Amino acid sequence: MQLKKELIKRTISGDTVLVPIGSAVYDANGLFVLNELGGFLWDLLPQAEDIQQLVDAVLAEYEVDEATARRDISAFLEALEKLGIL
Amino acid sequence: MKRTAPEPHIMTYLHQKGRALGLPIAGTFELTPRCNFNCPMCYIHMTPEQQRQAGIELTAQQWLQLARDARDAGMLVALLTGGEPLVRKDFFEIYSGMKKLGLMVSVNTNGSMLQGEILEKFLADPPARFNISLYGGCNETYEKMCGLPMYDRVRSNIANLRKAGIEVSLNLSITPYNCQDLEKIFRDAMELDVNIKASSYMYPPVRVQEDSYGAGNRFTPCRSAEESLRWDRLRFTPEEFKKRMENTAALAQLAPECSTETDPGVRCRAGSTSFWLTWDGKMLPCGMMPRPIAYPLEAGFAAAWETIRNATAALRLPSACTTCPKKPVCPVCAAVCVTETGAFDQVPHYLCQQVEETVRLAKEEL
Repeated sequence: MQLKKELIKRTISGDTVLVPIGSAVYDANGLFVLNELGGFLWDLLPQAEDIQQLVDAVLAEYEVDEATARRDISAFLEALEKLGIL
Repeated sequence: MKRTAPEPHIMTYLHQKGRALGLPIAGTFELTPRCNFNCPMCYIHMTPEQQRQAGIELTAQQWLQLARDARDAGMLVALLTGGEPLVRKDFFEIYSGMKKLGLMVSVNTNGSMLQGEILEKFLADPPARFNISLYGGCNETYEKMCGLPMYDRVRSNIANLRKAGIEVSLNLSITPYNCQDLEKIFRDAMELDVNIKASSYMYPPVRVQEDSYGAGNRFTPCRSAEESLRWDRLRFTPEEFKKRMENTAALAQLAPECSTETDPGVRCRAGSTSFWLTWDGKMLPCGMMPRPIAYPLEAGFAAAWETIRNATAALRLPSACTTCPKKPVCPVCAAVCVTETGAFDQVPHYLCQQVEETVRLAKEEL
């Protein structure tokens, strides 16, 4: 999955944020905050070819059923698309 | 004029967490004491001769290593300042390097150099915010105060940044040299649609002049209070101004507390979740204070930060300030005490007089 903006992930004492650089600064107007699942997925996005790969990775890492994982991942990806990040 | 945007919740939260855990969330990097302006009240600007005697500026690589160490310790926010940081030929090596570390970088500048190639580079990769110091409302005032008639250029540069969508905030030092321009400066800020913060209190420049404790090219305390009130009258609606005067008068009449302990010397984030690195590589809680000092280049960043945190936590206000009835309306802090008197435990009488006059003027307005 291709990221359209340059964002650097930082984890500060357990809290994860995305810091914009380059032209992303104009759109971001500050920071993006990720929850634990968002931080986990963010690292996988550049290599992931489809949502199924993300679902498989979440099922391997978390105790969650597939339907819930797919719903949460879809919501995350939709949010990124709305922000023009994905 | 824009009202000050509230700090994002995440930043407030990270600072609160950082205070509990001892994390340096924010750092100021004073890249140079050099400046193309020469303002009489500046606390840092040195002549080339003063600088030669005082030390050597850190290299870009040294700044980036300190930034890397600070980031690894938890720093998220970095402020590049000077002097005028853009006079450094390697400024963008430091700026871009810090951004690539995942830091939110803001820049303090006088705004005079934000043109041509420098502007192009910032347009391609903007800072989180520019904090631009404004020194007057016309070329004549700039020449009198800074030595260069730069007003038109700075105003045009600010307009270009705003047009590009870059965040700008203005800082104004109200001094005997520029106070006649106050109304014009306020109108400019409104026209440019930028937030502006102003102060008529000037710290004695003890970091560049060791004999300047309690001194400086500044107003008398009473005049400083008058100018501050003038600024409040401009920036607030009549209703807000009246409420502010009422609050000031009422708060200054509260009964003094009975206390056996003196108040903490620093109530802001300095030395708690933020640090200041001077141009020659020393760490301070904030740039106004000449001490406590730590040495990150020699001791390492983590050890220096620990030293500054502990030393700052130990600072106390003078006992007379703790029980003073004007405490609720007085901005006294350790930096004011030490720069006004040379000691942390001495009452800064300049500020006492300014606060007394502020309260008197507030009561007059009722």
